[in-house]
Amino acid sequence: MTFPVQSGCPACGSVNVESIELEREGTLWTWTIQGFYPQRPPYDGPETPEDFKPFGVGYIELPGQVRVQARIKTKDTSTLRIGMPMKLVVEKYIEREGQQVMAYFFQPANEI
Amino acid sequence: MDVAIIGLGIHPFGRTPGKSGRDQGVHAARAALKDAGMEWSELEFAYGGSAAAGAADAMVKEMGLTGLQFVNVSNGCATGGSALQSAYMAIQSGMFDVGMAVGFDKHERGAFRVDPKGGGLGKWYGDVGLALTPQFFGMKIQRYMHDFGISEDALNLVALKNYANGAKNPNAWRRQAISYDEIANSMMVCDPLRKFHFCSPAEGGCAMILCRADKARQFSGKRPVFLKAVSMKTRLFGSFEVFSQSQALDRADAPTVQASKAAFEQAGIGPEDIGVAQLQDTESGAEIMHMAENGFCEHGEQEQWLREGWTNIDGKLPVNTDGGCMANGEPIGASGLRQVHEVAVQLRGEGGERQVPGAPKAGYTHVYGAPGLSGVCILSN
Repeated sequence: MTFPVQSGCPACGSVNVESIELEREGTLWTWTIQGFYPQRPPYDGPETPEDFKPFGVGYIELPGQVRVQARIKTKDTSTLRIGMPMKLVVEKYIEREGQQVMAYFFQPANEI
Repeated sequence: MDVAIIGLGIHPFGRTPGKSGRDQGVHAARAALKDAGMEWSELEFAYGGSAAAGAADAMVKEMGLTGLQFVNVSNGCATGGSALQSAYMAIQSGMFDVGMAVGFDKHERGAFRVDPKGGGLGKWYGDVGLALTPQFFGMKIQRYMHDFGISEDALNLVALKNYANGAKNPNAWRRQAISYDEIANSMMVCDPLRKFHFCSPAEGGCAMILCRADKARQFSGKRPVFLKAVSMKTRLFGSFEVFSQSQALDRADAPTVQASKAAFEQAGIGPEDIGVAQLQDTESGAEIMHMAENGFCEHGEQEQWLREGWTNIDGKLPVNTDGGCMANGEPIGASGLRQVHEVAVQLRGEGGERQVPGAPKAGYTHVYGAPGLSGVCILSN
């Protein structure tokens, strides 16, 4: 199983692959905090170097499926712990040419 | 057929304003020829690479247009290692007797700039701020520390050792030891890794001359060092690699484990026979994980190894005696060759202030890089 969908199976090379829906809840498998402003491009976040705040990233283990890499949305990065329950959040990330660009995040379940 | 290294050349690593990456490669190539007592016109082939400093083969106009076969190598962080492996195979195949592996680079300041589309990741991956290698290093060691009880103290001890070694290496970028407290209190970059736990992209060049072992004396009066094994592996499904948008739940061994096993098998010796090693230390966490992945200790034993100083220059397995990537920086094209250069210097007994005592007989080099590949060499006297 992979995220996102790809044309071949990375385990065996088979092209007989199908799309399935992933779980929206899981647990934090590992994490870090991006402490410096990423190079732009490729970064296209809403902040400037002046108002940048470190953000969390991690792998969320979806039970019985796969571990998905994601940005972590949290009020307090110091609360991140391996094994904590997380929930999917999809929300506006930036505006580009008058259009809203959405992104997915995982957020600690106890913040929702 | 055994392959010998008969010439070593390096351009100091770090920052050399006003000197192109390629010129640093030319400097290293000339130094390697001088070391071997050879002329460029004697070489039958060269494999060379850089990631950010242009095509390596353009150096022939400086070295001499002799008509030799020159192949450019581009293989991510393993570019230097791949140039060496290609040269090794060219000689082993019987096609050529003598040639050069060369690598150089010149990177901009800051973290490596990544092209998510070029890496097959989709533009969104860079947009949202996931295309950063330091995040991977932070996440991988975070989980490893959780699984095997490694402490922040161990991260600091690796950095302390590598900067101390770099201070004894005239070709290193960072030639000053950094105190434990300065390391432990440096800026957090990607939790749990701090500024002084990381190496940085840099500049430098490295070259070596390889030949058929049975003709080593014919080409050069230099005491040869032998390449007993060269192995390279890419990731398996389930290993934890940089820029993975997802991971399988069932974990597989890292490519380093595969490359290491294959190299030891090829050389017919084991980890206990190695007297000096270079292990990829992109950051402190990498060196810790690579100690176990290369078979030198069990997972979790690194705490004791580091506290006892067993990887120091006077320890039972000196690791990164030239200061590693941390003290030398990482010019991608040259970095893997620098590791082999250092082990060859140690086996010749030419390490000066940083020479490993007791005349080591066999050495080991390991490079790891994006997008999940690992190269190992075993050298002997």
